[in-house]
Amino acid sequence: MKAMLIAAAAICLVLEAPLSAHRLDEFLQATILSVEKDHVQASMRLIPGVAVSSAVIATIDSNADGVISEAEKWAYARRVLGDLSLSVDGIRLGPKLVSVDFPQVEQMKEGLGEIHIEFTADLPQGGPSRRLILENHHESRSAAYLMNCLVPRDRDIHIVAQHRNEQQSFYQLDYVQADAASVSSGSEWWRGVSRWTSAGGFTSVFRLGMRHIAEGTDHLLFLLALLLPAPLFVVVSRWAGFAGVRQSLVRILKIVTAFTVGHSITLALAALGFVRVPSRPIEVLIAVSILVSAMHALRPLFPGKEAGIAAFFGLIHGLAFATTLAQLGLGRWEQVAGILAFNLGIESMQLIVVAAIMPSLILLSRARAYGAFRMGGAMFAGIASLGWIAERLLGVHTPVDMVANSVAHHAVWIAAVLFLISLAGWSLTDKQLLLSEPISPPAITRT
Amino acid sequence: MLFQLFDHPWPPFPFVSVMILRYSLYAVKGELDMSVSPGRTIRVGLALVLVGSTLSVAAQTATARIVTAANTFLSKLDEKQRQSVLFAFDDEKQRARWSNLPVSMVARAGLGLKDLNADQRAAAMALVSSALSPRGFEKVEQIVEGDELLKTKGGNNPMFGKDLYFISILGKPSERLPWMVQFGGHHLALNITIAGERGVLTPTLTGAQPALYTLDGKTVRPLGQESDKALALLNALDEGQRKQAVLGFQTADLVLGPGQDGKTIQPEGLKATAMNDKQRAMLLDLISEWANIIHESAAGARMAELKADVRETWFAWSGPTTADPGKNITAYYRVQGPHLVIEYAPQKLGGDLSMHVHTMYRDPTNDYGRGLTVK
Repeated sequence: MKAMLIAAAAICLVLEAPLSAHRLDEFLQATILSVEKDHVQASMRLIPGVAVSSAVIATIDSNADGVISEAEKWAYARRVLGDLSLSVDGIRLGPKLVSVDFPQVEQMKEGLGEIHIEFTADLPQGGPSRRLILENHHESRSAAYLMNCLVPRDRDIHIVAQHRNEQQSFYQLDYVQADAASVSSGSEWWRGVSRWTSAGGFTSVFRLGMRHIAEGTDHLLFLLALLLPAPLFVVVSRWAGFAGVRQSLVRILKIVTAFTVGHSITLALAALGFVRVPSRPIEVLIAVSILVSAMHALRPLFPGKEAGIAAFFGLIHGLAFATTLAQLGLGRWEQVAGILAFNLGIESMQLIVVAAIMPSLILLSRARAYGAFRMGGAMFAGIASLGWIAERLLGVHTPVDMVANSVAHHAVWIAAVLFLISLAGWSLTDKQLLLSEPISPPAITRT
Repeated sequence: MLFQLFDHPWPPFPFVSVMILRYSLYAVKGELDMSVSPGRTIRVGLALVLVGSTLSVAAQTATARIVTAANTFLSKLDEKQRQSVLFAFDDEKQRARWSNLPVSMVARAGLGLKDLNADQRAAAMALVSSALSPRGFEKVEQIVEGDELLKTKGGNNPMFGKDLYFISILGKPSERLPWMVQFGGHHLALNITIAGERGVLTPTLTGAQPALYTLDGKTVRPLGQESDKALALLNALDEGQRKQAVLGFQTADLVLGPGQDGKTIQPEGLKATAMNDKQRAMLLDLISEWANIIHESAAGARMAELKADVRETWFAWSGPTTADPGKNITAYYRVQGPHLVIEYAPQKLGGDLSMHVHTMYRDPTNDYGRGLTVK
């Protein structure tokens, strides 16, 4: 054995280990979680590489007698637990050691020893939608972390998402958990749906839909660009003055509804597997849709037909929504409820955005400066869409995503400032004009 | 020499069956052309009998052949050797006694090839070969040759080499009752369960270091297809699919390597429902690199199962999305389905991630053929 060790060491040191078989300078730390209703279990495998093992052994063998005693094993395991941070829904958990298993010291010196630590933590009562976070900081300088979770044995627990940082030292697990008592009777389909719904699946997918719009700058930009000229009427194929509050609202309602109808249809068709379109052309077409609506905001291309255009491009946006939904890997009966939840989430976010922006647009559109504002907004959307088209069609990198996202990040502030400006503008103009019926536009161009 | 016969599993067999099938086809075609021919019934009957017997012979052959090869091997051993090669079928300790590590580091039980004479050794390899497809056995040979290079280039390093591979038999070779053959050493662990006509290869570990070498003037990449087909699939994905498939974090090693039997982790990456037919075919072709290691009839049944699962199968990638031409990828990937976990994990050790890889092939529902043998 000794000869073997020397041979191994010789290869590692002399040949700088081109020809060996074990871990060298990393401390592999692999954790697999398993979530139950009232507790979470974890099994950790810790494998110090040959170059770091002596340092690790030294920290374990605290009295340096060359033997790892039972007490030293448990003390080390407790230290590992101390380097972890485990929480659920923001509540810090106290993990308890279940078992500790150490290899021979000789094996560890060769970089082969696997230390096994199992621990468990009780989960406090909580809502159906839960977020578990595990961070591992143990020996972070040499560590190579792996974090995973088992498919829950309990069928009432459904994993929604896993997020990790690049090193896998941070692990976030989102899951929904049904209360067994809430399972109603009825057909299997209905049981599945109601269980999923009561498990919070509905709300989490609803939120996903909202987030998808809030963060999906391209969908928003399309809609906003289309709404930009909605309060205006057309004079000789140019955007002219304010068309009136009621007419503006009716148009906006028509556009938003048409968009919703369009994307609902394709979202349902694609999510249920009736249509499948590769995502790349869809992404390109979405960018094109923004370009078209931006051009329409500059010069009326299809005055009065905005709703039709919104419905048509809605069909395309819906196909992109479906891709996101497909990622969830929902079961068959969860899918219908999932489509509904996701769509409602999209609609709600859309309505929030429209409600936040429309008063400003209606107020502003009365001002002369609205022309400049409309042109600016349209140019921004147009340039962004050209960037996206180039990116999605040719694979070139443009700063469009970054710029658009940073704008979207400050959307609330931008909307607020816009509203203040429009209020200021409004207070300076004749209020009577706004609230009264619009100036009658020439009959030929009335849309 | 007798064992030469087993080197390739009954080579004339596919040829003969093709001949028979072709004749049957002619017979049926003849029936279509001459619908009033008096010989029609006879011809059709003959064709059916031929097809039927071909199929039944084909189905019987694989297991019968492996059992014969096992009994031949056992008959060449002395009593002491036989005792060390045989284990109980349900010996859980022996089932799980495999690793990606060299034999000197993680001892294997069974019989080491170095303790066999030339005749016995040939019989042992004939047994392994009888249970595998020609390409599967070639892969095994290439992995072992690679380890031999580790030995010779490492100054006759006693840790590596062809001698340090072990064979064991769990249970009694039988055409009806389940039994197992294990063959492995450094970078190789084949766990082959034979249960009647069924054959199960999970869990199996393959690895390669060096992952690229020249032998007799030929460039060899034992796990080159595993790398190339995965990269081709990644490249066939569009931007949106790729975003889902490529995970945003490093994966340093196998998640479900040795000792992690029976675990099913939450799948990640791109689900094949979001792939088109061509991409799904590429995914299946990638999977076949592992599924087709076992002999053809078992591989056929396994591929049929995996094909039925394909829409529920996930593809996840972690690491660089390009590779140097002619070399292996340096990224980790995982293919996971209801009856499948494949992991491909390049190893940092040796300095060049493209030159050292461990892969794992599992069926969490059927490791060691449990799905077939547990009632």
